[in-house]
Amino acid sequence: MAMNSDAELPGPGAGPGSGGAEESADDERLACGRLLSEVWEAREGGSDDPDTDRDRAPDRDPHLRTCPHCAAAVRQLDLLGVAVREAGGGRESEWDAGALTERVMDVVRLELRPGRPLPLGEREEDLWVREAMAAKALRAAAETVPGVRAGSCRIRPAESGGSPSRGPVRVRLEVVVPLTPRLRDLAEEVRRRVRGAADDALGLPVDHVDVHITDVTEPAGADPDDPAGTEEGNQP
Amino acid sequence: MPGDDGLLAVRAAEGDEDAFEVLVRRHAPGLLRLAASMLGSPAEAEDAVQDAFVSAWRRLPEFRGQSAFGTWMHRIVVNRCLNMLRSRRPVADLDSVPEPQAPDHAVSPSRAAESHAAAVALGRSLAELSPEQRVCWVLRELEGQSYETIAETVGISPEAARGRVFRARRCLTEAMTAWR
Repeated sequence: MAMNSDAELPGPGAGPGSGGAEESADDERLACGRLLSEVWEAREGGSDDPDTDRDRAPDRDPHLRTCPHCAAAVRQLDLLGVAVREAGGGRESEWDAGALTERVMDVVRLELRPGRPLPLGEREEDLWVREAMAAKALRAAAETVPGVRAGSCRIRPAESGGSPSRGPVRVRLEVVVPLTPRLRDLAEEVRRRVRGAADDALGLPVDHVDVHITDVTEPAGADPDDPAGTEEGNQP
Repeated sequence: MPGDDGLLAVRAAEGDEDAFEVLVRRHAPGLLRLAASMLGSPAEAEDAVQDAFVSAWRRLPEFRGQSAFGTWMHRIVVNRCLNMLRSRRPVADLDSVPEPQAPDHAVSPSRAAESHAAAVALGRSLAELSPEQRVCWVLRELEGQSYETIAETVGISPEAARGRVFRARRCLTEAMTAWR
């Protein structure tokens, strides 16, 4: 690792005991000539991932295995590690997030973003629904198709007229769907249910429903290593 | 990390507060633990995380999923804690550090009392670190982050992050050695 001007310590690439390593004011040269920072870096495995190689460093550097000064320095660091683990921050599961969630949501509900008003019913009526409310209902309708998860749902007046204009709307819905050879049929089913919910449940006249498949998940249990998915079990 | 964070974040950005609530419930425990490590006080940690979530709700419409929602929240919380620690300085808020119990291990050398006293000693010495040292150390030691990630979160160079972690470790090992 190149040492630039604001480098405060030698990087892990600076070889242990390399005479050229500059000693920072905060560092300490042990009696054996090694820098404390180097010994601790080696204890961490020298890599940038503190979890790997921790116990293999002495294999690469016989000095670390035999030197009492280095061993004492490493022991200090290990004792700190023990104290840290004993003090713990507690496990995540010990933190009760319920009360916190309530407080956060109390503030959030005072600062809702309902979106634009959309016309409900006939042209001559004066009945409106906010976009965010309508979008919730349409996403829920899309998710009645097994395995489908809905993301973005934007609802706009189909014809851009005076604002807020009455008249049919255009829905643009993004979905994540399970992998199936019949994606087109699946998308069609989503479209049908969204349209049905708009017509029947909301009374929102819809001109068009665009269904965008943004991702495809493997069916559950197919490949646990696949980062793309199999998360259907985690649905809230 | 659950894979539908991205979907929920998009929905929340579009005003779906129910989706946001799922995200809050899911991420709050980890963020509380992180904030408590950095601040040394559960009550302050709750304030920091609550403020971070409220700020996230306001900023979600501009959040375009450049990073994962969890990473984004993590960063907001770290910066919130950093600011809280900085505003504490230079007078260290010793009230937020639990009082050490009388060193009673001479009377009852029980392991529990011993480790509790060690925790108190650790808490005290953590409170004496600079805000940057403390935050960098927590991210490295407790979160296992790379120096590059720490540097990016805190807004310093990776070398500076490495230096802060080293100095924190020196202070803490010295304090713990003295305690023993």
